[in-house]
Amino acid sequence: MSSLSLRGVRKSYGNVEVIKGVDLDIKSKEFVVFVGPSGCGKSTLLRMIAGLEHITAGELDIGGQRMNDVDPSKRGIAMVFQSYALYPHMTVRENMGFALRFAGVAKEQIARQVGDAARILALEPLLDRFPKELSGGQRQRVAIGRAIVRNPQVFLFDEPLSNLDAELRVHMRIEIARLHKELQTTIIYVTHDQVEAMTLADTIVVLRDGIIEQVGRPLDLYDDPANQFVAGFIGSPKMNFLPATIVDKATGKITVELIHHDKARLTLPVTSGVVGDPVTVGVRAEHFGTAGAGNADITLDVDVAEHLGSTSYVYANAGGEALVIEREESRHETGSERITVSISADKAHLFDSKGRRLR
Amino acid sequence: MAQARLARREHLTGWAFIAPALILLGLFMIYPIIWSLWMSFQVGKGMNLSFGGFANIERLTKDPVFLRALGNTFTFFIVQVPIMIVLALLLAVALNDATLRFRGLFRTAIFLPCVCSLIAYSTLFKSMFANDGVVNQALMALHIIGAPIAWFSDPFWAKVVIILAITWRWTGYNMIFYLAALQNIDRSIYEAARIDGVPAWARFRYLTIPMLKPVILFTTVISTIGTLQLFDEVYNFTAGNGGPSDSTLTLSLYIYNLTFKFMPSFGYSATVSWVIVVVVGILSLIQFLIARDRRSS
Repeated sequence: MSSLSLRGVRKSYGNVEVIKGVDLDIKSKEFVVFVGPSGCGKSTLLRMIAGLEHITAGELDIGGQRMNDVDPSKRGIAMVFQSYALYPHMTVRENMGFALRFAGVAKEQIARQVGDAARILALEPLLDRFPKELSGGQRQRVAIGRAIVRNPQVFLFDEPLSNLDAELRVHMRIEIARLHKELQTTIIYVTHDQVEAMTLADTIVVLRDGIIEQVGRPLDLYDDPANQFVAGFIGSPKMNFLPATIVDKATGKITVELIHHDKARLTLPVTSGVVGDPVTVGVRAEHFGTAGAGNADITLDVDVAEHLGSTSYVYANAGGEALVIEREESRHETGSERITVSISADKAHLFDSKGRRLR
Repeated sequence: MAQARLARREHLTGWAFIAPALILLGLFMIYPIIWSLWMSFQVGKGMNLSFGGFANIERLTKDPVFLRALGNTFTFFIVQVPIMIVLALLLAVALNDATLRFRGLFRTAIFLPCVCSLIAYSTLFKSMFANDGVVNQALMALHIIGAPIAWFSDPFWAKVVIILAITWRWTGYNMIFYLAALQNIDRSIYEAARIDGVPAWARFRYLTIPMLKPVILFTTVISTIGTLQLFDEVYNFTAGNGGPSDSTLTLSLYIYNLTFKFMPSFGYSATVSWVIVVVVGILSLIQFLIARDRRSS
């Protein structure tokens, strides 16, 4: 149960900088998820915290102590790998107890700790099996068990669920959430799956190209994204982006004209922006209303409708611009129809041409 | 009916395609093997052979030269194979370290001996280990020895030179197998062990070695067979006589001498050949039993 802090952390491989100055504070017992597209540096950052990658510049503190040059085994961390990294020639019991043998822990104590971890993870019937005799989910639980046994201050998870099938992934997600509640440890979890991030995290750290785009609670990121990248990355289905131009500006509000929608106009409570600038209006799928109910109406051609039972997603377009609209009442809509929906100004976000949020 | 005929024709075509290979294999491999087994029951000199039952096996037990050769071969096997396997393993682990510079160069240098010409390297070794050779000069210059070692006329040192030579020649060959196997091990297994505080020696002892077990078994069996058939080095270093006074005589060299050097005794030399087969079989079986998977035991 340690807090963590990163100050100006950088990582370069030769001339290529992959982590470009990261500042981050992680509170004790917090569940933090690093999320971002592949190549954003989230795994590298985790490996730097673990001590598997050297920190080129900056400071890493764990529990108030500088850890830059401390051996991985002395940082009070345990890590769960995407590939599970189980020792193939050892049983589950030996896998979990192996490291403790070298920490000078007595045999009975090892047996007790392994037993405790096995109970928490429901691994007791599997203790004498070899990794090759386990399913993917069971292997993942053993890998977590091996981490728990060491009683670490901080747990690091590197895409732990990526190798599992969809159903098992949902199941393990719940397991990990339950585990965090039970163990009350700091967890840093890396994933490219924003759904995992949304469901597990206390705090989400969105990374892109080696820099932090936004840090915040899941719903804060969802409701109030700092920029177009975060707006597009967080949430499923993705936020719709409609190109527009600023046509009028008054105190505390801006009027934009939607390019692909018969110059429909929308007035937003935004103070920044210059008349004539190209902007993007972001609207989430569930924020489209029935025609006339919002501040602007747009008409679209339906391509496909997905009926999920509780709700439906309508994939529609206007002038080649594809949009996803959630319609709870549209169970019977099919393709090749025209629909009119409304946009509410208070539910729309505005981004400038560089993707920055206009407020 | 037509279908059956078609199937028959396909069968015939298939056999016709593999017939040349089968005939060659039969003629040059299977027939000699069976014939040598038959020969091992023949007694007599030269072409004057007659069936002798187990007379050759009886002769083995009373033949001091055979027993000497068997002893020498075992000495080479017991000393050389473990040294080479351990050395190859250590070199492979060292060369597998991603931070090591000039890895490719070292790898090539260590592998090269096994592709180099036998005669060239034998000649080189002979000159290096001559009384006034570079090895003696170097050892004397370093004051490790006072007088030159008579490498090829001392029974002990002659064996040492043979062991050095075959180790030099075959270590790189075995190392390549280990390197290939090491590169197939998931790196995160070692990273997990590092984070968990498993010391380097324990990672080698409890992770690397068990994970390489199948390859270690394979190389051990191959090396065992190679060492039991040891012939070339001994023949070249000792002008074919296994000297001094039979101290480097191996089973293979003895077979050669029995067949081509002494009054030819084809039956008896076939018997000695089959001794090698039986010994290789037994040793391989022992090695398989030792390396057997825990689960299946």
